[in-house]
Amino acid sequence: MLWLQLAITGLQVGALYALTAVGFSLIFGCTRIFHFAHGATFVLAAYVFYYVESQGYGTAAGVLAASVAAVGFGVLMDRLVYAPIQRHEGSFFTVFVASFGIGIAVQNLVGMVFGRSFVTVTTPLSRSVEVLDGVYVSPLAWIAVACAGVFFLGLWFFLRRTNLGTGLRALADNPELIRVFGLSPRLLSTYAFALGSFLVVPAAVITGATAGLNPALGHHVMLISLAATIVGGIGSIGGALVAGFGLGLAESLALLQFDSQWTEAVTFAILFLFILLRPSGLFGRAATS
Amino acid sequence: MEAYLLNLGVLISLYAILAVTLNFIMGYAGIYSLAHAVFFGTGAYAGASVALNFSASIFVMVPTAMLCAAALSLLLALPALRVRGEYFVAASLGLQVLAVTVFAEWKAVTGGIGGLIGIPPVDIAGFEIYSPGSFFILSLVTLAAVVAITRLLVRSSFGRSLKAIRDSESAALAFGKNIALIKTTSVVISAALAAIAGSLYAAYMSFINVESFMLDTSVLIMAMVIIGGTGTQLGPIVGAALLLILPGALSYLSFLPQTEIGSIQQILYGLGMAVLMIFRPGGIVGRGRAETGEGEA
Amino acid sequence: MNTFRLCIVVAGLHLATAFPSQAADHQIGALFPLSGPNATYGDIFMSGADLAVDHINADELLSGELSLRYEDSQALPQRAVVGMTKLVNVDQVPYVLSAFTGVSKAISTLAQRNQVVAVNGGGVGPDLAQLGEYFWNVIPLANLEVRGLVPYLVEEEGLKNVVLIYVDDPLGQAIRTELETELPTVGGTLVDALSVPTTAQQFSGIAAKVRAAEPDAVYIASYGAQQLQIVKQLRDNGVDAQLVTYSGYSVSEALALPESEGLIYTTQSVDYDSDDPVTKRFVDDYTAKYGRAPTAYNVNYYNAVRLFGLLAHALEDKGQAVTGANLLAERMATDSFDLVGGTVSFQDDGTLVAPIQINIVTDGAGQPVATVDVAD
Repeated sequence: MLWLQLAITGLQVGALYALTAVGFSLIFGCTRIFHFAHGATFVLAAYVFYYVESQGYGTAAGVLAASVAAVGFGVLMDRLVYAPIQRHEGSFFTVFVASFGIGIAVQNLVGMVFGRSFVTVTTPLSRSVEVLDGVYVSPLAWIAVACAGVFFLGLWFFLRRTNLGTGLRALADNPELIRVFGLSPRLLSTYAFALGSFLVVPAAVITGATAGLNPALGHHVMLISLAATIVGGIGSIGGALVAGFGLGLAESLALLQFDSQWTEAVTFAILFLFILLRPSGLFGRAATS
Repeated sequence: MEAYLLNLGVLISLYAILAVTLNFIMGYAGIYSLAHAVFFGTGAYAGASVALNFSASIFVMVPTAMLCAAALSLLLALPALRVRGEYFVAASLGLQVLAVTVFAEWKAVTGGIGGLIGIPPVDIAGFEIYSPGSFFILSLVTLAAVVAITRLLVRSSFGRSLKAIRDSESAALAFGKNIALIKTTSVVISAALAAIAGSLYAAYMSFINVESFMLDTSVLIMAMVIIGGTGTQLGPIVGAALLLILPGALSYLSFLPQTEIGSIQQILYGLGMAVLMIFRPGGIVGRGRAETGEGEA
Repeated sequence: MNTFRLCIVVAGLHLATAFPSQAADHQIGALFPLSGPNATYGDIFMSGADLAVDHINADELLSGELSLRYEDSQALPQRAVVGMTKLVNVDQVPYVLSAFTGVSKAISTLAQRNQVVAVNGGGVGPDLAQLGEYFWNVIPLANLEVRGLVPYLVEEEGLKNVVLIYVDDPLGQAIRTELETELPTVGGTLVDALSVPTTAQQFSGIAAKVRAAEPDAVYIASYGAQQLQIVKQLRDNGVDAQLVTYSGYSVSEALALPESEGLIYTTQSVDYDSDDPVTKRFVDDYTAKYGRAPTAYNVNYYNAVRLFGLLAHALEDKGQAVTGANLLAERMATDSFDLVGGTVSFQDDGTLVAPIQINIVTDGAGQPVATVDVAD
């Protein structure tokens, strides 16, 4: 039954990966900004939730505060860091370095403010129960998968059915066209950041309860989001979702064969091969130059 | 004090070599690699293994390290030929993560996470070089040689071909340039030269482990290039000096609480990176945005 | 850039001129992780070391004021080497406190070349015993801990089948080897050994593999935040076997974790209730100063600094200079030292021998249940 247990575990981890990856993919797909500080958004949201919740204000207040923090951070990054750099027509890499720098600063700031050690959100929901003989699933696993589904569907409807969503999709396809229609690419970009950053909140909150938090968490989150975005195909939100689940499953099922220190290598070997053999990703458009 | 400055000087020279070699592919070939620490590490491990098992002579150690890194760099050249922009960055990131796993797990050669200890000092014609003073001279001379080599290459017809490819691959193709060969050669040269820094680093520290060759190091080297000024001769060296002096200088600010000084250093380092990119995206030495080079897909 | 250089030079001059005028003052260094993922250890190490400095100065054990100069190692070797170079060459300290196996190995060459004593009170990788005569350990290394634990585990608790979760570094490998050889001698078995990368955060998959192996006990060999994550996630994912670990777990936040309840861990033996005046003073003052009970790490770094105080005091009495070489000679010439936890002596390789204590976490704090003398 080990494989079934690992598959279920993989789905839970994959759901969290998918949620963060979809946010990154949305931002990256729409704005082409290599938002490496997306991992910092995650850490920030997780710690704010932890803080508010542990002060006794309750889960709802915690989620609200985490959302405000995540969206606020994303929008500020876009306005204060990326917008000025893009005004100089700074290269894609200039943006990356700035973003990475902010990521380092946030990680250490969080460490100073909230302490550098391990913290965890205590909830009975993280306790697994035996659902089948030898197969344990925690209630949070179902919540994680459900969240991934609900948020993805919500995002999908938003992008298809609202004017703002259509604008965002247009931004991804052709920023020049946006101007022709009298929309501001800058404003749309800010919306993309707000939305993309908001999407990390459920994953951040659930991670706080299942795996626990430390300030250095952002790095791994970021690497996985990037891998999922590329494997899924840049610009394809659905691709990021599928790839997020896929990477979670691959990481977990790899334990059947390999020691766990190879699991990250498995993820990135998949990424490397994808770029070499199918750079457009699962659902993306052609990318080779 | 003197030894401290010399020690810092050695580190700056070695990192400057890395920055100069990365700048060679970033600034002139438009290959934005996040895997430079892989070749630094390959050079260090190869050099250390040779020094520990065969000979610590610089004439044996360094060429072996260069060969190993050059061979491995073909793995980076592969995606460089296929994709550009963020795809290539992601591919190099993948290579970096894979390499870290191999560095940490291939215990027979790398010593695993525990690393290699007791690496003998480098030997030049019977003289052992390990004092910070003599090693500083050695690293400075090496840096000068690497700068001279890259300068020569950039100014040759090879360099012109590189820049032509960076600016427009299709135009270069139309002029009958062998793009695949030129790109591959530039990656191989860059990696081989970076390996020199690696092998000297191993000999100087006498201890290496995987922690010195992780993604953070790759980003640090890249930050040195970009902060100094991509595609400039002096920029990478200025960037290396600045980023290595900064943390040391900060620890002299005695009014900061000692327990928080590490965090404050990191915060300032991070913010400094961002602020420089906002106000001086072409780098300190860069002449403006024209030199930054575009990395679009 | 020039301004930065200037800063350093000016600061350096200031330090250089400061030395001769206060020749009787003593400065020692410490390379602790003050930032990064392991910074929580830095805080813990410092509290013990600082208290020892307070005590030495209050007692006027030395002719001048003793001060501690901290450098941030981030628990990373390269940072540590830069910091060590600064301590040795700029601050010119004869004695440096070190922590973490990787850091200690990296600076050991510098210690040897510059004849500066480096003292480890935190890392427990057994290869720390082989880093040269200038490298001392005031902590029994992990192989002794395992050797003390295994008979207790199998014979007293009846836990025969053990699964090991370990970080694949010198410490983890040593614990693995030690378990492989020690368990069979008392009728136990190491059923499975699962290695994890240092950066891993998710252990639900590992938990599934642990359950599949059906062990009586799970031994965890990791550090810092990660070991807490492992414990929490094992419990969350349906592993209810006895959890066992080594002295790395003796930090208050780990013991306070609800999932830690009932966990068994080893430390060097410290009888905190002892009437021995050194121990009593340490325990009382530590509790008063920091508002919590001390742990083994606090003791070790207190001892490391106290050891310097004792050696330097002896050297001053003889009218000798307090240099690394003299400190080493003095330590070799002294049979035993009165440190917290009792009178102890060093082995020839510079490592302290101390009995191993087995503790069980009860209500968020470690309760000693047995003490084992480990013959090496």
